[in-house]
Amino acid sequence: MSEIRQIAIYGKGGIGKSTTTQNLTAGLVEHGKKVMVVGCDPKADSTRLLLGGLAQKTVLDTIREEGEDVELDRIMKTGFGGTKCVESGGPEPGVGCAGRGIITSINMLENLGAYTDELDYVFYDVLGDVVCGGFAMPIREGKAKEIYIVASGEMMALYAANNISKGIQRYARTGGVRLGGIICNSRNVDRELDLLRAFSKELGTKLLYFVPRDNVVQHAEINKKTVIEYKPDSNQAQEYRNLAQAVIDNTDFVIPTPMTQERLEEILMEYGMMELADDYKI
Amino acid sequence: MAKLLDKQRYKCALAAMQTVQAIERALPILHSGPGCAQKLSDTNGSSGYFSPNIFPCTSINEKDVVFGGVKKLNSTIENALKVVDADLYVVLTGCIPEIVGDDTAEVVSRFKEAEKPVLYAPTAGFKGNNYIGHEQVVGAIIDQYLKKSDKKQKGLVNIWADVPYQDLFWHGNLREIENLVSELGLTPNTIFGYQRGLENIKKIPEAEYNILVSPWVGLKNVKKMEKKFGIPYLHCKTLPIGATETSKFLREVAAFTGVDSALAESVIKKHEDYYYYLIERYADLFLENRVINKQFTVVADAQYTLAITKFLVNDLGLVPAKQFITDDTPKQYRQAIEEEFKKLNFGLTADVEFETDGFKIHEEIKKHDYHGYPLVLGGYYEKELTEDLKGNFLNISWPVQSKVVFNSYYAGYNGGIRLIEDIYTVAVQRFN
Repeated sequence: MSEIRQIAIYGKGGIGKSTTTQNLTAGLVEHGKKVMVVGCDPKADSTRLLLGGLAQKTVLDTIREEGEDVELDRIMKTGFGGTKCVESGGPEPGVGCAGRGIITSINMLENLGAYTDELDYVFYDVLGDVVCGGFAMPIREGKAKEIYIVASGEMMALYAANNISKGIQRYARTGGVRLGGIICNSRNVDRELDLLRAFSKELGTKLLYFVPRDNVVQHAEINKKTVIEYKPDSNQAQEYRNLAQAVIDNTDFVIPTPMTQERLEEILMEYGMMELADDYKI
Repeated sequence: MAKLLDKQRYKCALAAMQTVQAIERALPILHSGPGCAQKLSDTNGSSGYFSPNIFPCTSINEKDVVFGGVKKLNSTIENALKVVDADLYVVLTGCIPEIVGDDTAEVVSRFKEAEKPVLYAPTAGFKGNNYIGHEQVVGAIIDQYLKKSDKKQKGLVNIWADVPYQDLFWHGNLREIENLVSELGLTPNTIFGYQRGLENIKKIPEAEYNILVSPWVGLKNVKKMEKKFGIPYLHCKTLPIGATETSKFLREVAAFTGVDSALAESVIKKHEDYYYYLIERYADLFLENRVINKQFTVVADAQYTLAITKFLVNDLGLVPAKQFITDDTPKQYRQAIEEEFKKLNFGLTADVEFETDGFKIHEEIKKHDYHGYPLVLGGYYEKELTEDLKGNFLNISWPVQSKVVFNSYYAGYNGGIRLIEDIYTVAVQRFN
């Protein structure tokens, strides 16, 4: 039995981390892999497509209402293809400490023995910005060693990705955490592929996969399904299978080399976005 | 840079629960972890109507960190009001709720209509030590409880001195300063200790003047009262101990409050005559006793290091070695305090260092040549060191382990005599 590959997915808020993670998970399941997805976002929407809706009580809600003496099956549900789904959840917006909440729930999962040997992959789907120590919990010692950042060709997405890399670099110095690459969730902006390749190179990593934009993703979401479940024969379903394969095959794990804001803007200029902005037409 | 805490001489801001406790029938409500109050409580005169063992506490845990502790705080205040009969409730926050961001002020504001006043003082340990916490509690009373008064009571003077319990002599000191001020024909108003409490707090805005007797603690508070209530303040940086400083203090207070100087001089003369009568009677002890040598060091907070240095130089004619201030005095006050060490009689000045690291202080004491037996007045930490140096030691600052203090004091003329008694009690026992 090989070691569980624990993977954390980071990226700017709204970039499509949850969508990408769940579709990727569906792809891995089709490859016969056993996967657990841990949502690390107070919004608790990281497993909706795998479970066919927000069917799940979060770890923190369970602790709040029932105390800490709970069984694993109260907080872990089985979704598409046998995927194990957990939502950390969080306090109500504006109160408490969501970061500590993530630490609490991951500790609880460990104590309850959620990390069984049969698992091949564990995904942590983490909220947009690593605002405090709690949101870095999944990449601390002994947790996820592999990170993928979801980005697009938009300036703020790249800015966030660069920032997240700074966090990874910090933890990489003392622990085993490494960046596995950038996953582009395309927004159809000009020269997006070239830009993402250049950006990834500058970060010392690679563009792991370029997921094209396709409306079927939205349709599947409305139907509370992954694309692979909703339209298994679609092109997009195949794209996610390819992404899954890219993750399975990936062996390039690096300590990222985040860039300065000036350098990031230089890259953006180079790929024409800044000039083209004036010619934008609807 | 991180450093080792060596022989720390204060506690965190939450220890201002002792400031609340010093107000008769006032109750601290702690919004903190369960261990804080236990660690901060003291057994030196802290039992009584309320003791730290019954202070209501939210005892927050991990669940409250994640979801916020405001519900628990709300119910703790609600129930404290029901089951604990106090006149004033002061909610104090520890580090955890302040980091998590609990909106304590909002929760406390829900109790505006309660029969008894409920106030809130943020006292997270990371904001500073209990000297700062003390200021926060007094500040909360000024901000949240008191209003400007159009009615002024002629001759009423608020007196602010000392940090209760941090200074074991607080009760006696306050009473002695009150006595002295009332001899000038003024009516002193203090809020801490026996039979003061809420009634005196209510009188604060009616006072004509504030007198602050402290190098720095409370300066913020009197400034705020000047702004909010229009009460001018006199800042006496030195706690008066002995004749020189006490007479100076009385003259300053008289001049500031418009008391007839002839009256002030007559009060001063009465006290000085008695003071020097006593000193004269023991002049042979001072002359013949070879154990108290010339040089001394004080290791204490700014209040005592300054006050005792002035007393030992001006009244006893000793020579200051290096003096140490251990209360982590905020930087903006340091220069003014240093200046005070230059205002000594006989053209003397004292070298003073702001230092919280006990190891460094001890190293400096060890390497200094005291030209005889060192006289060290400090915390209990200095006892062993002074014994090693064959010196004379008196425990005057926190932590105090070698003395039980009910209501004795060092302030004023009488206080000066007490301090001489204590120092020479050590000296005469030396070869017994």
